[in-house]
Amino acid sequence: MNENENNFESLRRLLALKRHEAPPPGYFENFSAQVRARIRAGDAQTESISDQLPWLIRLMSAFEAKPAFAGAFAGALCLLLVFGIVFAERPDVAPQPLLQTAQASSPLAMAAPANLNSMPMEQPAFIPISSTNPVFNAQSPDSLFASQGAAVQTVDFTLPGN
Amino acid sequence: MAEPVSSSEPEPSAPVDEDELVRGARRGDLAAYDELVKRYQQRIYATIYHMTSNHEDANDLAQEAFIKAFQALKSFKGGSSFYTWLYRIAVNKTINFLKQRKNRTHMSLNDIDFNAEHDPDMMALISEQTPRRAAGLTELQEKLNAALLKLSEHHRLVVVLHDVQGLSHEEIAKVMECNVGTVRSRLFYARQQMQGFLADYLKPT
Repeated sequence: MNENENNFESLRRLLALKRHEAPPPGYFENFSAQVRARIRAGDAQTESISDQLPWLIRLMSAFEAKPAFAGAFAGALCLLLVFGIVFAERPDVAPQPLLQTAQASSPLAMAAPANLNSMPMEQPAFIPISSTNPVFNAQSPDSLFASQGAAVQTVDFTLPGN
Repeated sequence: MAEPVSSSEPEPSAPVDEDELVRGARRGDLAAYDELVKRYQQRIYATIYHMTSNHEDANDLAQEAFIKAFQALKSFKGGSSFYTWLYRIAVNKTINFLKQRKNRTHMSLNDIDFNAEHDPDMMALISEQTPRRAAGLTELQEKLNAALLKLSEHHRLVVVLHDVQGLSHEEIAKVMECNVGTVRSRLFYARQQMQGFLADYLKPT
């Protein structure tokens, strides 16, 4: 090893130059005061957070103490996110069950079930549900004109000259 | 005049005093901790500075290391000296920082102090024995720091702690939490690399 040390003597002398690199004058006079100030600021911040959000502090300390707990929490969050994405991408909803649910839950439907059977709604109408088409659509599209009693009149297209 | 940031062995202060300061700091006594900071600030700053070759980064990291040490004092069991424990915190923080900043290094070098011009080694370096006679101390400083930055973090750390800071192999092994053989082999490899990088500025042996 001594031979190696001798081989590197020039390099060691060059590296000695690093010992002469010095920070600006007076730098170390304020250093400890800055550290102290940052410790106090950190304490104050921690106290302020713990006053306002004690549950957050407890959660964070639980994470620090048990990394497995942090992993489980992160896993649960990911699972929740995946479920959210899957449900968001599903087709809006199966219309019939929803319509039935809507009718069942409607007070009108509960009050007069017999009248519903007499209405000219032979087939369940497909009601696309969206934000502009609310679920609680009491009238079927087939019964719209019937309820207004519109008269049907034939039109004569014969021209007077013929 | 600027303070030198060189260091060698731990300061020969009474260990009882240091233990007392550590106990006080653990109880939250900031004055006691302030004393510990003053005792080690130059060595911690110097180590980080030589690792990063950047004064601003070294300033931030050194302060953060002392803050983290204060916050972690309760976990300090006293298995090693406070000095070694503090060094370990500073070194780990610096290595993590350097890994995050990989390939985005920016040198911000400190000035060379007045004593360098009177150092016999420095005089020899810029004398006719150096192949590049025109190389002044500033140029040497830049080349030296650039060469250090080319080393891996662990190899650089060994060179800085041993050849610049003057720590023994055993002390370095404690700080880096590895065995002495690893320290020696890393030092040998790092020096070889450095010799290659700085061949133009080194006297042939």
